[in-house]
Amino acid sequence: MENDKNPSIRQVKIYSIVTLILIVVGSGISYWTAGRIEYYTNAVMHTSDVLQRTDELYSSILERESNIRGYVITGKEEFLTNYSQSNIDADVLLSQLQGLTEDNAVQQNNFEELRGLINARVRTFDATIAYMKEHGDLEGFLDPSKANNALSGYTMIKNVVLRINDVENNLFQDRTKSLTNNINALPFIVGLISVFSITIGLVTFFSIYQYNKAQIAADTERSKFQEKLKDQIELLDNSNKELEQFAYVASHDLQEPLRKITAFSDLLKEQYAGKLEGDGDLYLNRITAAALRMRRLITDLLEYSRAGKIEHDKIKAVKLSKIVAEMLEDVEVAIQDKDAKITVGKLPKVYGAETEYRQVFQNLISNSLKFSKPDTKPEINITSEEASSALINKFSTLDTDQKYHLIKVSDNGIGFKKEYAERIFSIFQRLHGKKEYDGTGIGLSITRKIIEKNGGVIYADSSPSSGATFNIILPFTSRNLRDN
Amino acid sequence: MSFEKPIQILVAEDDEDDKLLILKAFERTLPKEKVTCVEDGDALLNYLRRVAPYNDLLKYPRPDIILLDLNMPKKGGKEALAEIKSSEDLKSIPVIIFTTSSNIDDIQTTYKMGSSSYITKPGSFEELIKVTEEIENYWSKTVLLPD
Repeated sequence: MENDKNPSIRQVKIYSIVTLILIVVGSGISYWTAGRIEYYTNAVMHTSDVLQRTDELYSSILERESNIRGYVITGKEEFLTNYSQSNIDADVLLSQLQGLTEDNAVQQNNFEELRGLINARVRTFDATIAYMKEHGDLEGFLDPSKANNALSGYTMIKNVVLRINDVENNLFQDRTKSLTNNINALPFIVGLISVFSITIGLVTFFSIYQYNKAQIAADTERSKFQEKLKDQIELLDNSNKELEQFAYVASHDLQEPLRKITAFSDLLKEQYAGKLEGDGDLYLNRITAAALRMRRLITDLLEYSRAGKIEHDKIKAVKLSKIVAEMLEDVEVAIQDKDAKITVGKLPKVYGAETEYRQVFQNLISNSLKFSKPDTKPEINITSEEASSALINKFSTLDTDQKYHLIKVSDNGIGFKKEYAERIFSIFQRLHGKKEYDGTGIGLSITRKIIEKNGGVIYADSSPSSGATFNIILPFTSRNLRDN
Repeated sequence: MSFEKPIQILVAEDDEDDKLLILKAFERTLPKEKVTCVEDGDALLNYLRRVAPYNDLLKYPRPDIILLDLNMPKKGGKEALAEIKSSEDLKSIPVIIFTTSSNIDDIQTTYKMGSSSYITKPGSFEELIKVTEEIENYWSKTVLLPD
């Protein structure tokens, strides 16, 4: 029934899980990318801050240079005030910059060098100012070599500042590039994951749709099949009922003329016995005997047709031990007549009608007593155990998912040949002549019918001289009770 | 016991053989004229209501008990029983169902309808004699009947 083209519930599950994983991974990547963007934005801002402050620092250095120059040339005190302010500004900015570039070893070195140069320069300026204040001018203070020194000190500062700017500019460019890359990557990543998720989502949706369609188709087919099965069961039930009705009516109607044959031959016998010529009496006896036998056959047939009826209201749990004990009491006379020994083991609880199980065991026990060996005391054993699964598997009518009892009724009687093991259960089948053993051969047929009706199986094992064993397999629970 | 007089029995039976056997069986215990036969339910009701040809009271006296077969042509046993038991005049006559059926439904319905006994026709003549003896014994010697 399973169509390979249709997706299985497993496939649908896998698609759904993949979709979920993609959405989670996509969200993760997007979040991570957003984090990178934030990081680089901050880094770029940081770098531009460093660059700006470096510019300011350089401006204050330049201002200081021009202030000292102004003072040397004019000797005006206000230049010195500006000079001091520039010194403080430069110092503050330098400290700030050193703090900002804490994580960058190259810049730390550069700023350290710059601080050294600035300090040296400040010392030179301070010396110049002190000389100027003492002498009123700088005559004799500046010699060509010192002038060279002054020039090279400023150049060196400028070089270091340029170097610092270079490093920061490179950093700025790198970080801006990374930021741009991340910003450009984000929509691409989100888009890609969205496309994947939507695709897989669509596949999942389609799979579910297909799966449901297949399911509905299977359901429809199943209900059609069930409908058909129901019809057939009904048909079978009807035909069974008709057959039973037929057997009942036939045997019933057959009894009518038979009753009259018996009655009139009785009447004939009563009035004319001993008065008939020749073999008249013998023929009359034969008629009576044949009619009697036919009556038994019809009675048995009637009983057989009744045994097949399932009467739901009569089905209940039956304690076999009780049934067997009661039955043995009923046939006690026959048991004593034969001097038979009957052993009954622990028997289970089964399901069905009490009277029927009584009939089953009565049939089996009377059978064993009837077919006992003439010179041996009959011994009959009734035992029960759980049926093995190997045994259950042998019978197609048994349900392998169910548990079954195996009840054995064995005797030490004359037994029968293996090839007759099935024949003995057929209606009116006999293995022995009527003169040897009485009976119509209906007992075991009825027994089988009852056992099969209650969801079980009965079969016989034997070989001549070893006695017979009747094996009854019955379910732990009633099928009829289960179905209702 | 000396006051007892033979009971008058009316048998409703369509089957000639059964009729003959029943009459033969009653012959042992009852005088011939005490047992009368009718063939179906209609005839039974005509007899009881004295409709011609049953208007001769001497020839067709009112029965003390009725033996009623269930399966009869025309008016069946159950219909006849219903009519007898719904008639003020007739309902006091005990009706014994005497039939081949041993159907539990038949037994229950006929008792509910007011029949007094239910007997299944026996298989042999000897048994039939026993049954007729018992009927005669019970209804003429054991119980008291309305007049």
